[in-house]
Amino acid sequence: MTAILDTQPATTARAPRRRRRVRIGRLLSLTVLTVAAAAVVAPLVWALATSLRTPATSFDNPPQWIPTDPVWSNYQAVFDKVPLTGFFLNSVVVTGLIVVGQLITSTMSGYAFAMVRFRGNKALFAIILATMMVPIQTTIIPVFLIIKYLGLTDSRMALVLPAVGGAFGTFLMRQYFLQMPRELGEAARVDGASHFQVFARIYAPMARAPMATLAVLTFSAYWNEFFRPLIFLQSTDNFTLPLGLVTLQGNLGTGSISIVLAGVIIALIPSVLIFLAAQRYFVEGIVAGSFR
Amino acid sequence: MSQASQAVRNRGRASAPSGARSGRPPEQQEDQSASLRRRAQNRRARRETLFGYAMVASALVVVVVFTVAPILASFVLALFKWDAISSPEFVGLDNFDALLSDESVTHSLLVTSGLAVIIVFLQVALGLGLALLVAQRASKIVQHLFRAAFFLPMLASAASISIVMAYVFNDQFGVINYYLDLLHLPEVSWLSSTGGATATIVLVAVWQQLGFTFILFVAALGSVPGDVLEAAQIDGASPARMFWRIKLPLISPTVLFASTVGLINTMQLFDQPYVMTKGGPGESTYTTVLLVYQTAFQNLQFGYASAISVVLFAVLLIITAVQFTVSRKWVFYS
Amino acid sequence: MSSGILKEQFSRRGVLRAGVASAAVAGVGGLASACSSGSSSSSDSKVLNVLVFTDQASANKLSTAAAPFEAAHPGMKVKFTGITGTDWNDFFSKLLTQIAAGNAPDIVSVATEGLQLFAAKGLAEPLDDYVKRDASELKSYFADVHPALIEAMMYQGHLYELPTDFNAGNMFYSTSLLESAGVGRPADDWTKDDFYDIATKIARKGGSAVPYNWVVRLWGSWTSWMYANGGNLLTEGKWDGGDWLWNTFYPNDPAASGRKGGWRWGDPTANSAPVVESLDYMIQLQKEGLSAKPDVGGGATLQGLFASNKIGMSVGGGFWAGGLHNAGMKTGSFDVQYFPKWRTQRHLFGAGGYGILKSSKNKDLAWEFVKSLVSAKNLDVLMPGNTTTFPRKSMMTAERYSTTGPKNWHVFYDTLTKFPETAPIPAPPYYQAMAIALNKRTTEAMSSGKAKAALDGLQSDLETAMKTG
Repeated sequence: MTAILDTQPATTARAPRRRRRVRIGRLLSLTVLTVAAAAVVAPLVWALATSLRTPATSFDNPPQWIPTDPVWSNYQAVFDKVPLTGFFLNSVVVTGLIVVGQLITSTMSGYAFAMVRFRGNKALFAIILATMMVPIQTTIIPVFLIIKYLGLTDSRMALVLPAVGGAFGTFLMRQYFLQMPRELGEAARVDGASHFQVFARIYAPMARAPMATLAVLTFSAYWNEFFRPLIFLQSTDNFTLPLGLVTLQGNLGTGSISIVLAGVIIALIPSVLIFLAAQRYFVEGIVAGSFR
Repeated sequence: MSQASQAVRNRGRASAPSGARSGRPPEQQEDQSASLRRRAQNRRARRETLFGYAMVASALVVVVVFTVAPILASFVLALFKWDAISSPEFVGLDNFDALLSDESVTHSLLVTSGLAVIIVFLQVALGLGLALLVAQRASKIVQHLFRAAFFLPMLASAASISIVMAYVFNDQFGVINYYLDLLHLPEVSWLSSTGGATATIVLVAVWQQLGFTFILFVAALGSVPGDVLEAAQIDGASPARMFWRIKLPLISPTVLFASTVGLINTMQLFDQPYVMTKGGPGESTYTTVLLVYQTAFQNLQFGYASAISVVLFAVLLIITAVQFTVSRKWVFYS
Repeated sequence: MSSGILKEQFSRRGVLRAGVASAAVAGVGGLASACSSGSSSSSDSKVLNVLVFTDQASANKLSTAAAPFEAAHPGMKVKFTGITGTDWNDFFSKLLTQIAAGNAPDIVSVATEGLQLFAAKGLAEPLDDYVKRDASELKSYFADVHPALIEAMMYQGHLYELPTDFNAGNMFYSTSLLESAGVGRPADDWTKDDFYDIATKIARKGGSAVPYNWVVRLWGSWTSWMYANGGNLLTEGKWDGGDWLWNTFYPNDPAASGRKGGWRWGDPTANSAPVVESLDYMIQLQKEGLSAKPDVGGGATLQGLFASNKIGMSVGGGFWAGGLHNAGMKTGSFDVQYFPKWRTQRHLFGAGGYGILKSSKNKDLAWEFVKSLVSAKNLDVLMPGNTTTFPRKSMMTAERYSTTGPKNWHVFYDTLTKFPETAPIPAPPYYQAMAIALNKRTTEAMSSGKAKAALDGLQSDLETAMKTG
């Protein structure tokens, strides 16, 4: 839009003034944006910087924004004091299984709801879609009891099983498959391919982009999950990262915030890496959700 | 499955000529082949139906067992007094009766909806404002840099962000009060006053979710057709006028989406108060989900907690319904 | 399988029916099977499951304490599971959730906070018969342990745990901050006024340090001031019974006189004058800038602040010695003194120990194990690095505290002997609800400055909690 403004020929005498105003406006907007971005990033920078200070000076102000003498021992300590490796692996296993499960169930159901004609298609989709607005927080007690009767309490599967299928994934994949031409499948059917072959060989491979989006969104939702682990898990051995970190912070006798912050930073690294690698899928996923 | 479908097709193909070759009258032949075709079609449809059910089964089972059934079960549990250890006792509607006169419940609902409204308003307003500013930048690199910056907090868990923020907002030793002091501004009792704690929860929630609304609005603004803006530009419309008259109506579905999702999310606020304030000071940040959690898993009042969940569920339902009804009046769907 | 059947199964009505059916399984079925959940212990006959309030790494180290027991009982294995939490109520939430989920352990670490909760819910097994049976074996243990600690482990005349540690609420101070304010170590019988005087001097000196800080919770919070002021949240009383224990193990001990069958916490007195006065004092300290704003929870942040020399004085117990040392404090940079005198110099304390759950299938063996834990050698393994106070007086030695400090470590145990009116924290069977209410009302008072109104609220919260159990 500004580009349009800039290239407009100066047809009137007021043009130079307007251009100056535009330039000042741009400078102002850049300043606002920069300040906002700095404010958004600052707490995390503080956490990183403070995780590199000695425990005895971690509360000292002003904070050392750029550590002159970084103390890496906190990162060692967080592994020594808490089973951070274990938390990390638990998070990887739980999130990994959920992502894979979501991809399989959502792609299958999304495809069926979009492309397969069967009785009850609309009704079943409506049932699934209606649960999209039901937060786990309102159903946690019965879910806890179901987990109990399945014998899964205090296990990582308690987190995985209820999360391997859901409304959002089904919805997202259905939206995608709806845009795809039906002719491809029909042609393949005439050539003798089965229903499943049509799905698995033709359509599913074409859906890589929404699958990546779903994978990335599912990852970030479950990697950072706190509420269900807090209720379903009791043994430290089974803890995922967010739960482990909170208990690390609160546990009697862990007196150093530098060590806690080191843990926070470590937990953040995988998310940041995945974001950097798949930034556009994050963005697409968020935007895709808004076009319901 | 593939062989079977092949067989169906072969049989269908074979049946037509065989009818033609027989000596029956044409109408009858026509009839028979049509019924055969219909039968084949039926079989094909049945097979497709079967396939459809098989494909949706896994997602459906998960949703039914872990969402639909629990919703219904909540209503059942709410009729009992039960500590999950000894035997349950049927108490009818006593839990709902007790809930109506329980100040903690009504207060938590007020706190939660108050927080939700403020948080969502700020998320939408700030996200939109920043998106408007970024949309003016021509350079894609600059846009991406800001996008990454605003998105960064969303990558961390709300729980660990709350750990960090509890230190940052610490009244005595926190960074924020240090800088306020340095600027000769009055220090704020962030976590130890009712207003301060509310403000802290709001700031932390808005701060972390800003990237979400920001990205939504950047995308929405990007889809506003350029020629419309150009025309308005030539007509001499001021930037403010262009925003209120053209851009905002065009992106109103996104505003609706962002606020609906935001409201539903913030009505479940738990991690931040659990980690930073435990609901305090007093009950100033005691959200309904925190109340459900403590009632069920700290006091072992599973029935009563279920009753509170049912109420929360109803409130969420009403909010969603109201929002969609109201939105018909002002959302512009192209 | 014919497609017709499938179609029938997946028809819309069928799905709805299935949904309702699963709901019934989750709700009604769950409620029904709950009746039998008391007996559903996950413990294998060959394994003793022990749940400890600590992290798993520390829990794993405890297996050393189980080695002699395992050697004496071939085929038995002791498995320690660590559960962390910010405070005892947090730990109990997880423990109760686990029991509700049908995974009850055999043995669990439960401090004074939850002793009556577990006893009253019928979850804990009384040890009376075991103790009577093995009296001769236990004589040396009881002789070494102060009777106040034993009584804190009793409820309705029964003994539920053998104390393995305790913490009395003493006053820690930073030696350097006191020195720089020109004050030395306070006297043993120092008063609230002396305390105020020192705090004012630290404040006057300026700098970023705060003279005093505390944590919102039941143990060693403003409640320490409440005890010193002769108040309590609940009416004090004692259960009858317990003579069997006192007559057997403490026949002529003056410290055991008046001991009965455990503390009986009666009607709430949370808005009585001395209680209001003590919370008002906290508000006053905060208003005058003598006290930092308190955190809620386990006090990890407080320890961190204290260790980085930001706090002049704070309530702490024996567990602070190791805690401060681990947080990087040098041996001489902090010390401990008794809590100051107000109307009295009564201290509060909390004791820890291991209880046997009623649902355990191996109660006899569990007892053997619990009994083995209270030997000096095993206690040493259980609580390494001075992260608590030992219940056995003989274990309190200068040598033990030479690595961590404080210099006046003797204060930890002598609190019990020097101030005989010292009592456990008021933790009734409804401790969980009490903890929530106490945190809520304390923070309310500290932010509003109105102690009386907040404590009126606490009073009514506690009255409700007492009724609903």
